[in-house]
Formats: sequence, C-alpha cells, structure tokens
Amino acid sequence: MDSFIETFHIDWKIIIAQVINFAIVLFVLQYLALKPLKKLMAERTERINGGLEDATKNAEILKNTKNEYDTILSNARIEANTIFQEGKKEAESKKAEMMENAKNEVDNMILNGKKVLESEKAKIIEDAKKEIVSLVVLATEKLLESHPNDKSEDKSINQLKNL
Amino acid sequence: MSIKNTENTITKTETTTLLPEISNVNEEISHESTLYAEPIFHIGNFTVTNSLFTSWIVVFILIIVALVIKIKTKKVPRGIQNLFEIIMEGAEDLCDQVTNSRAITNKAFPIVFTVFVIVLLNNWIGVFPFGGFGLIEMGEHGKMFIPLIRSGTADINGTLPLAVMSVIGANIFGIISIGLWKTINKYVNLNALGSIFTKIRKDPMILMTAPIMFAVGFLELVGEFAKVASLSFRLFGNVFAGEVLLASMGAILAYALPTPFLLLEVLVGVIQAFIFAILTLVYYTIASTDHEEHEESHEKEGKLEVAH
Repeated sequence: MDSFIETFHIDWKIIIAQVINFAIVLFVLQYLALKPLKKLMAERTERINGGLEDATKNAEILKNTKNEYDTILSNARIEANTIFQEGKKEAESKKAEMMENAKNEVDNMILNGKKVLESEKAKIIEDAKKEIVSLVVLATEKLLESHPNDKSEDKSINQLKNL
Repeated sequence: MSIKNTENTITKTETTTLLPEISNVNEEISHESTLYAEPIFHIGNFTVTNSLFTSWIVVFILIIVALVIKIKTKKVPRGIQNLFEIIMEGAEDLCDQVTNSRAITNKAFPIVFTVFVIVLLNNWIGVFPFGGFGLIEMGEHGKMFIPLIRSGTADINGTLPLAVMSVIGANIFGIISIGLWKTINKYVNLNALGSIFTKIRKDPMILMTAPIMFAVGFLELVGEFAKVASLSFRLFGNVFAGEVLLASMGAILAYALPTPFLLLEVLVGVIQAFIFAILTLVYYTIASTDHEEHEESHEKEGKLEVAH
C-alpha cells in the first residue's frame, strides 16, 4: 500500500480538493443549468401536450357544434316548411271561405236588387196604370166636352168613370 | 522529453521556443512524463499540482457554462439553448436505455452528467497544446520543464475520488431505493443464512446453497473495491498513456506526427468519459434493483413459460 501511495503520489489533500471540485460542479450544474433547463423543458412539453389536447378538444367541440348547428338548421327548415304548408292551407281555406262569402254576398245583392227592381217595376207599372187611367179619363173628358149631347158617349163616360 | 521509468531524457526543443526567457540558456531542459502530477505552487501547506490546477480550470469553465445556461435560458429556445436542450434530451434518453426507468434516470442523471462533463473536459484540456506553457525548475538531472496543464484525469488523485464517489454514491442510492437492510444483505447475506432455518424442511438443498450465497455476498463486497480500482485505473491509464503517446510522437517528429494521435486522443477522451459515466449509471441501476424480487420475478416467468 505504501509503495502504491509513493508510486502514484497519492495525496489525501488533493483527493479532498478533487471531491470539493466535483461537489461544486455538481451543485452549480444542478442548480444553474440542469434543473432550470429540465423544468423549462418539462413545462414546454406540458404546454405542448396541453395545446395538442386543447386542439383535439376544440376540434371535437367544433365538430359537435357543427353537428348541432346542422341539426338545428335542419329542424328549423322542417319546422318552417311545416309552418309554411299549414299557412298555405289556412290561406287557401280562408280564400275559399272568403270567395264563398263574397259569392253569397253578391248573390244576395243581386237577389235584393232584383226584388227592389221588381217592386220598383210593379210600382212604376201601378203608377203608370194610374197615370194612364187619369190620362184616359182626362182625354175622354176633353173629348166629351167637345160633344155634349151624345147619350152613348155619356154612357161611355160613365163607364169610364166607373173604371 | 522522457518517461521516468526508461530514464531516457529527450530535449524538448519546442518548449524553448515557447518560453523566450529560457531560449538564451544553452543548458538542456528536460521533461519527464511522470506517473504523478507535478507540483506547481503551494498555498500554505497545500501543494497544488498541475492536475489539480487543470481541474480548477475545468470547474471554472463549467461554472461559466452553467451561468451562461442560466442567463440564456428562455421559454422559447434560441441559439445555444437549443444545443444544450438537444444534449440534455439525448443524454437522458441514453440513460433511459441503461436504467429502463425514467425515475432512476431522473435521480442519477445530475451525478452521471457531472461526472461525464468533468472527465471529458479534463481529458480534452490535457490533450490541448497548452502543455507547452510551464515552469522551469532545477531537478536531479538539471533543469526540468513542468507543464502548467496536465489533465486532471492523468493523475490517480483525480480519478480515484471520482471512482470512490461513483461507487459510494451508488450504494447510498441503493439504500435510498431499496432500503438499508437489502443493501447490506447484498454484501453480508444474512437473509441467506436465516433461510437455512426457515426453509430447511421444504428445501434441504438450502444447506448447500445458503453458505454459497453468503460467500457470494463477500465477493460482491470485494467487487465494490474492484469497481473503484477498475474505474480509476482505466481512466488514469488511458489518459496518461495518451499524453505519453502524444509527447513521444512529438519528440520523434514535432507537429506532423502527433496530429493524427491528437485527433485520436480527442476521441479517446470522449470514449473514456462516456465509459466512466455509463459505468457509474450502471452501478446506480444495479444498486437500485432488488435482486430477490428480480429473481422471484424470473422464477415466476420461468413457471409461466413451463405452464405454456
């Protein structure tokens, strides 16, 4: 052992100094370089993974939203179509009803008109008849006044008067 | 320039050109590649060797790098931060392949990574041509050149503490991970001895196997010392041999001949740092594994396979 120590000049002080050197380098590297760098890399990896996960989630959300949007749009279209069809039917029925009402009204109006016309006509005829009779009487009177002694004429006048 | 053992002194001509104050001196200046680091100055009773001085430079560089990382780190990485992040991620993935567990990697990574960068920088600074700067001192054979820079890992005083810390650190990690009792039982297998009394009726062969298991525990204990020796001497041997090789090649034909070896040593520096760090990680992983559970799971797997 002594020859070994002598041959290689083993010096415990230098060995301790080398141990201290190693400890200093280990401490400095660990706390100034390796640890911060590792922490930073781990954070970055975590952030990248988080970003990728978020992107996947967002893509899924987007897909779901699109599907939902499509479903809502499709339902809305169907609903709108139904409403439109119902409206159309209702409008048609209302139209038909209104047409029917209008027709009835027109018919009534025509009927009333006819009635009024007929009553007016009857009244006119009656009036005309009365007028004609009075005219005839007047004419006859005037005629008789021009031939006062004619008995047959008197008779006719009386008959006319009796009319 | 010479290796001490061979006692062949080669004049280091290139050194004199780098040190103009000594170029007027006609006297030969020699440099010996010694197995140990040369002292360059003293702080009180404490002798500072060129290897320790290089280690301090490494510590200084690493503190600067750590501060740069701390200052430059932004949420959105730019420029050099990208490089640091790539290195860190790559290193962690590599560690995962060894440990098979991110939890173990997270715990062992700071130590293993520190070991790697310290060894790597020490190896590389050693092969840089800064070795030309140094001191001239009077030695046994006249004036001696003592380089200011010598790789911290080219001195056993530099590699031994790293190896000891790796092995002790692994055992501490084992105690934290699987508990003190199980860690002690790896070396002094009291469980095996105890099982003689509890399992002898079911399995009489325990009388044979338990003492063997107990003896294996002691082998494990010896193995821990072997780990320290292998880690420290492998690194020291490779780096020191590399420096000697470069010096020898430079002495044969300066500039041209050492260049390919210089590149080779850069590569060797990386490989040795990698081996040291990975072996440390392997020791940490082994220490954090419960052998009994491991064996039990193997037994269960074996039974399942038989059943199939």
